[in-house]
Amino acid sequence: MPNKNISRARFINNKLLGRKRDVEEKTCIEEDIREIRPLTMQLSTETTQDRQEVVEVCEDLYHLLKHEDIHLLKEFHRMYLDYSFTNNLPPQLKALDASQPWLLYWIGNSLRLMNPKWLSKNYQQGISEKLLNASVNGGPFCGGLGQLPHLICNYAAVTALALCDNYDDCWSKINVHGIYQWLLALKMPNGGFKTCLEVGECDTRGTYCALSVAAMLNILTPELCTGVEEFLIKCQTYEGGFGGCPQEDEAHGGYTYCAVASLAILGRLEVINVGSLMEWCSARQFNEERGFSGRSNKLVDGCYSYWVGGTAAILEAYGYGECIDKPMLRDYILKCCQTKERPGLRDKPGKSPDFYHTNYVMLGLSITEHNFKVQGSVNSIKCAPIKESAEIVPINPVFGLPSEDLEKFVRFYSH
Amino acid sequence: MLDFKYDFDDIIPLPISSDAEGELCQIMYDDDYKHLMGIARAMLESKELSERALHITNSVVEVVPAFYTIWNYRYNIVRFLYGENAEALDKELDWLDEFTLNNPKNYQIWSYRQAILQLHPKPSFKRELPILHSMIDDDTKNYHVWSYRRWCVLFFKDFTKELAFAGDFIRRDVYNNSAWCHRMFVLKNYHPSAQEIEAEITYAKEMIEKAPQNISPWNYLRGIHEVFLSGNYSPETVEFALSFVGDFFERKFSINHEGSLCEEAPVVESSFALELLATVYSKRREHLQKAKEAYHGLIAWYDPIRKNFWEYRLGLLEKDEGK
Repeated sequence: MPNKNISRARFINNKLLGRKRDVEEKTCIEEDIREIRPLTMQLSTETTQDRQEVVEVCEDLYHLLKHEDIHLLKEFHRMYLDYSFTNNLPPQLKALDASQPWLLYWIGNSLRLMNPKWLSKNYQQGISEKLLNASVNGGPFCGGLGQLPHLICNYAAVTALALCDNYDDCWSKINVHGIYQWLLALKMPNGGFKTCLEVGECDTRGTYCALSVAAMLNILTPELCTGVEEFLIKCQTYEGGFGGCPQEDEAHGGYTYCAVASLAILGRLEVINVGSLMEWCSARQFNEERGFSGRSNKLVDGCYSYWVGGTAAILEAYGYGECIDKPMLRDYILKCCQTKERPGLRDKPGKSPDFYHTNYVMLGLSITEHNFKVQGSVNSIKCAPIKESAEIVPINPVFGLPSEDLEKFVRFYSH
Repeated sequence: MLDFKYDFDDIIPLPISSDAEGELCQIMYDDDYKHLMGIARAMLESKELSERALHITNSVVEVVPAFYTIWNYRYNIVRFLYGENAEALDKELDWLDEFTLNNPKNYQIWSYRQAILQLHPKPSFKRELPILHSMIDDDTKNYHVWSYRRWCVLFFKDFTKELAFAGDFIRRDVYNNSAWCHRMFVLKNYHPSAQEIEAEITYAKEMIEKAPQNISPWNYLRGIHEVFLSGNYSPETVEFALSFVGDFFERKFSINHEGSLCEEAPVVESSFALELLATVYSKRREHLQKAKEAYHGLIAWYDPIRKNFWEYRLGLLEKDEGK
C-alpha cells in the first residue's frame, strides 16, 4: 500500500503539476513506478502556486507518517471540546455572537460522534437550557438572546436539541407549530426559503435548513414542499454540482450537499442529473492531497470531507454506487487534518483547528468507515461499518447526526 | 465606539446574555460590547427608527459583521428615514461600499445590498460596478461577490459587460473557475447565436492550449456541447481533444483479469481530454472499445483516485453493450 501511494504521488507530481521539485530524493523503495512523462505545458498562476504549496506540505506529511498506523486521537480531541463546554469563550469569539446554536451543535455533535457517553447529561442539560432560554416560546430559534429567528440558527438549534436524548423532556418544549408557521412565511415565490423574514439570503443552504428541520419535526407538508424541487433542479450547473441560487452560480460543495440532502428528504433524487453529479463529486478528490476541494480549481479543505463525502454517501445510500475513494479520504483526514500538537481538527496543514472543522471532518471520517443503504425512509439509512472497528459512530448522511439520535428524535414527533 | 454626536442617556441597555450560572459556551463579552449591544437591543425592542439608531447599527456590524438581526434593523431604519429618496439611499450605498471593502468575507452584506437596491427608485448598475470590480480583483474567487454580480446582471438586465469582465479574470488566471462559470451564466441567459457559440468553443480551446491540465475550460467546453449542441461533438473538437492524448488510442492494450492495463503508460497531456473523449466515444457503438480503454487508462494512470467513478462509467458502457 505505501508503495502504491508513493508511486501515485510521483505520478501526479510529474504529470499533473509539472513540479520543479524533485520528489525522487525522498522515495526509494517503490518498485512498480510507471514511467510518466511530465506535462509539457504548465502555466503557473495564482491557482497553481497556491495549490503547489498545499501539495508539498501534504506530501511531506504522507511521507513522514507513511509507516504509522494512524487513528483518530479521540481522548485528545475530547479535551478541546470539553474545555469549551466547561469554560467561557474568549471575547474575540463575539464574532459568533449571532451564531451561538452552531457552537452547541458543532461541539456537542463532535463529542457524541466519538463516544455517545461523552456528551454527558450535564452537557445535554446545558444545551437544552441555553437554547430554550434564548428563544421565545421554544422556537423558531435565533442566534442568541434578543435576536430575530433565523433559518440557519434554527437548524443548528434543532439538531443540537436532537443530541440531547430528550433530557428533562426538552423535546416537548420545541414549538413545532410556531416553527411550521414561520417556515411557511419564509417561503419565496421561486420555491426557496429566505433566512429571515425581511432581509436574508435565499439559497440551497436555507432550503436544506428548512426541509431537514421540517422532516425531523414531522411537519413536512405538501404546502411546505411546493416548488422546492423546481428551485433545487435549477441550482444544478453544467459542472454537475449545485450552486447557491438558481442563476448558474458556481457549483460548490456546501450548496451541493444542501441541495442533494434536500432532494433525498423530498424523495426526488431521480429528478436531477445524478451521473454528472457523481462526476463532479469524484472530481473534487485530488490524487495528491487525497481530500476534497469544494469547487473546481480550489484548494483541498477538510470540511468538504463531509459536504462532498456526505453527498456521495447519500447517492450511495440510494443505490447509485460509490463515486469517491474512502481510504484515501481517510488518509487526508487522519494525517493532514489532525496533529499531535493541538487538539481539534482543521481545514488543512498550516491552519488552526476550530469547532466547525472538527465536526465536519469527523462526520467525513464516519463516511470513510461505513457503507450506506437506505431502508424505507430517509430517516432510516443503514450505516454499516466497513471493517470491524469504526472510530466514529454510525451517522445519517442526510441530517449530519448520529443515526441513533436522529432516529430517536424523529420517532418522538412521529405520533 | 459610539459617536458623541448622539445622546443615548435615555436608553437603559438590555442584557445580552442570560448570565445563568454555568451556561454553556458563554462568550466573555467586554464591557464596551455589552454596553453597545445592550443599547442596540433596547432600541430594537422599542422599534426606534432614527438617525441615532442607524448609528448604533453601524457600530454593531463593525464589531460583528454577521449580526443579521442588526442588518434587518438597519434596513427598517433606512426604509423609514429615507423611503425612496435616491440621494439618501446612494449615501447608504456609499457607506456600504466602504464597509464591504473592510469586511470582504462577510455575506450578510450582499442580501442587505439587494434589499437597498430594490428600495431605490433609480438603481444603477454603473453604481455597482466599481465595488464589484475591486472586490473580485482583491479575491478573485469570492463566491458571494460573483453571485451578487449575477444577481445584478439579472436585476438590471444588462449582459453587455459580462463576457469581457469574466475574460479579464480568465486572462489573469486561466484556472479561475468562478470566471468560467460566469461565462456560462451569460450564455445560458442570453440565447447566443450559432456563431457566438462557435466563438466560445474557440475561446475555450485557446485557453486549453495554454494549460491543458485545467478542469475549468474542459468543463466549459463540454458544458457548451451538452447545453447548446445536444451533446453532439464536431470532428474538429474530437481532433482537438485527441491532440492532448498523444498516441494513447494507437497503442494496443491488453486488459488483464483484474481489468487493468498491462502496458506502459503512454504520455498524455491532459486527463480531461481523455475524459472528454471517453464521453464522446461512449455515445457511439463503434467506439465503445475506445471509451473503455480511456476509462482503464484513467483508472490505471491518469486519475486513479477517481477509480470508483470510472468503474461506474465502465459499468454503464457494459449495460449499453448488453442492449
